[in-house]
Amino acid sequence: MSSHETLAHAAPLRAAGPARAAARLLASETALTFRRPRHLAMLAVLAVVPVLIGVAVRIAGADGDAGPIIARVAGNGLVLAFASLSAMLPLILPLAVSVVAGDAVAGEASQGTLRYLLTAPAGRGRLLALKYANVLIFCLAACALVAVSALVAGLALFPTGPVTLLSGTTVPYAEGLLRAGLAVLYAAAGMAALGALALAFSTLTENPIGAIAASVVLVVVSQVLAVIPQLSALRPFLLASWWNAFDGVLRAPMDTGRMGTGLLVFAGYAAVSGAFAWARFTSRDVTS
Amino acid sequence: MRSGTRAMRWGVPVAAVAVVAGVVAAGPVIAAVQGEPSLPRRTAAELLADAAEKWQSGRLPQMSGTIVETASLGLPALPVAGGATSPLGLLSGSHQAKVWYGGPDRLRLMVPDEMNENDLVVNGDQVWWWDSAANTATRIKGAPDGAGRPDAVPYTGTVTPRQAAEEALRAAGTDTEIAVGEDATVAGRAAYQVVLTPKDAGSLVKEVRLAFDGETLVPLRVQLYAKGTAEPAFEVGFDSVTFTPPAPENFAFTPPPGAKVEEATAPPIGRGPHGKDGEPGADGHGAAAPRVVGDGWDRVVVVSLPKRFEGDLAGAADRAKGGRDVEGVASLANGMLNAAAPVSGEWGSGRLIRTKLVTALLTDDGRLLAGAVTPEVLYAAAAAK
Repeated sequence: MSSHETLAHAAPLRAAGPARAAARLLASETALTFRRPRHLAMLAVLAVVPVLIGVAVRIAGADGDAGPIIARVAGNGLVLAFASLSAMLPLILPLAVSVVAGDAVAGEASQGTLRYLLTAPAGRGRLLALKYANVLIFCLAACALVAVSALVAGLALFPTGPVTLLSGTTVPYAEGLLRAGLAVLYAAAGMAALGALALAFSTLTENPIGAIAASVVLVVVSQVLAVIPQLSALRPFLLASWWNAFDGVLRAPMDTGRMGTGLLVFAGYAAVSGAFAWARFTSRDVTS
Repeated sequence: MRSGTRAMRWGVPVAAVAVVAGVVAAGPVIAAVQGEPSLPRRTAAELLADAAEKWQSGRLPQMSGTIVETASLGLPALPVAGGATSPLGLLSGSHQAKVWYGGPDRLRLMVPDEMNENDLVVNGDQVWWWDSAANTATRIKGAPDGAGRPDAVPYTGTVTPRQAAEEALRAAGTDTEIAVGEDATVAGRAAYQVVLTPKDAGSLVKEVRLAFDGETLVPLRVQLYAKGTAEPAFEVGFDSVTFTPPAPENFAFTPPPGAKVEEATAPPIGRGPHGKDGEPGADGHGAAAPRVVGDGWDRVVVVSLPKRFEGDLAGAADRAKGGRDVEGVASLANGMLNAAAPVSGEWGSGRLIRTKLVTALLTDDGRLLAGAVTPEVLYAAAAAK
């Protein structure tokens, strides 16, 4: 169904500039992604979890073994955005991104719509780029949704005002918002690297569940590897161990060094996965 | 033809892997190509004298950088790996800290952890310890004015730094060989290396390497090598360093609103019993104060333990839930005791725990002996009572 609609948009645009055609294709692809009930349900979960965390802190209070950052939420609602990202980046956000990116190509193949899609004059490389651009938009939207939902819940449940950073420095609320925005961008970059990986898996199979499962299993395995002390040498090379480095925005001065390294790791993963996906997708026989 | 272009397409991911691997390996490869830096030659005495002169005049250059601490002592695996600021946590793995030094009375040390941070801020007579997890700012009182001043210059009573250095070398020379090693690159800077080699045969320490920045003579790295290992068992040094004045806001600390403010005489680092190599610490279990036997590198710490020490340790976790290291200490102790080998000799019998750098002997008559020495030295100390 999806590619029929995509095709319907794409076909009349043959004459228009390739950039505009690509933009239109991307727009329709994105619209499809955000209209799919499965994805909407996932986004709803992403929006609800920060609210649940906020309500739980509000009811139970911040004492006990709540974890260092959760305890701060009660003091300032803005911190809920960082706490939510910190809680959701290890598993929930990667799961959502894996579902969308793992489905991108394999989903079309399993529905038998991939070959129709390939009849469009866009070319396979460009189609793949389009699919990845769509994944990027989803990553950014998912991370931003978590932050916005947390901000709204934080405003409703907790006091606002100047934000205390991890370093003990206090910054105005507006700067706190800016820092939350940076955290969202960093988290989205981390998710985009995973998205490239899941997209590469997606080009390998005609079974979207397989690609999604492979991506999720990889996330879980790398989380497990990261906590084994004997394998600590491996940690800097694992994608998952860099996601939570967004906490660098909460330090004074901002820990740009660590976040920069994280972005480099993300770029490395995205480059290798993207090149692999491209080689696979442009050379394979599409039979369905 | 078609299969040929297909094969070429696979060249792209291969190239991508090669580029990424190249970037990852670039640092070590560049360092290997550049080889060792060569600085103007200086003897150990000259080096120490010049360093001491700079230190004594309080004219250490303003600087900031990242310090990395790595320990691979060969301890039994630590199931509870404590935080970066807990003494237990520092015994295994790698830890990072950032330091800003703006003069003798302006210092900031930051220990980042995931979603957590500890800071030591020294500004004039104000000394603060900030713990973001506990949301507690501790004002450290009674700190000597200018607590950041490196107070490590020995023999300050002597006249000139050069004399002091010579005297220090002579004093150390009885049990230590001091030499200038090959120049090294630390944090991207050419550095002198001073190598201390124990003369005592009973020591497990092969050598201690100190690296001094070639230009400023600031100590950049300390490495501790155990005998029979190529990698340092313990290392602390700069990962990156810049000799520019740090931003003044690093030294301005005011407790944030809502934070608990406490006063103490020492930073509350690693609350809970001290957990160093299974030493019970002075946590009120009736352990006598530790004594030190022997001298030089063969020094052995002897602690008399209360009866039923093992039960004590195992039960410690139940009794003192408050301390965050307690469970770590208990599980470490249990792991150690399980790894201990029963030994006996003329001195009696007990159990021996060996790691790369530290050997500990728990005698059946309730003494704990530990040191960076071979078991034979411990047996001799045990026999001496």
